[in-house]
Amino acid sequence: MKRSYVGVAVLAVILFLNIIFTQYMVHQFFYENYVNTLIFCGLNIVLFPIALFAYKKMKNVKA
Amino acid sequence: MPSDKNNKIPFNEDNYTHNIERNNERKLDRRGFMKTLAGAAGVFAVSSLPWGAVAAKELIGLGEKEYPKQKIIDESKLAVGDAFEFKFPGEHDDAIIIRLAEDRYVAYQNACTHLRCPVFWVKEQNQMVCPCHHGFFDVETGAPTAGPPRRPLPEIQVKVENGAIYAVRVKRYEA
Repeated sequence: MKRSYVGVAVLAVILFLNIIFTQYMVHQFFYENYVNTLIFCGLNIVLFPIALFAYKKMKNVKA
Repeated sequence: MPSDKNNKIPFNEDNYTHNIERNNERKLDRRGFMKTLAGAAGVFAVSSLPWGAVAAKELIGLGEKEYPKQKIIDESKLAVGDAFEFKFPGEHDDAIIIRLAEDRYVAYQNACTHLRCPVFWVKEQNQMVCPCHHGFFDVETGAPTAGPPRRPLPEIQVKVENGAIYAVRVKRYEA
């Protein structure tokens, strides 16, 4: 049974963005740019529903 | 008489204890992998929360320490261009106040940010000097201008009330 791997790619990209945002968040925190910290924290949180949505959409997609 | 006693499934395995399909039990398929990635996004989101919370706390200003305001000196006793040394916030925290203009005061904790020698105000050079290793600080901002120190002097906020100068709080260190 052929499966589409678009969902895997999308979720991998989301994981990649998660790592980047977390890195920025921690660095901006130690640079005391607290507004930027909050922005990246928010982005990280927003990525979770997006990931859930992508998972639900893509889990049964056939190629 | 042949018995088929051993050829039977002893009991119905469709129950809560014998429910493992051994063949594919550990297989990470496409969907399982996607589920793991979505879970990882959740872990990232949750672990971001404390950073955001502490950052918000700092922004609101809960991290600022409050000290009881302390009288430094009367305005009339400090001429323009002169400096006066005092202690704030603790009795061992040396500080210096400089009157730059008629109504402009700056105050810093004057332990040099290099090796904590006292920093002095040199009126003729219009800058603050640490004599130990010739560190120089900008009097307007407390930023280091030359020599070994790399970090600015912590600034003290002052307030003038009824002809007397009060130290209110120490500004947070900013890089």
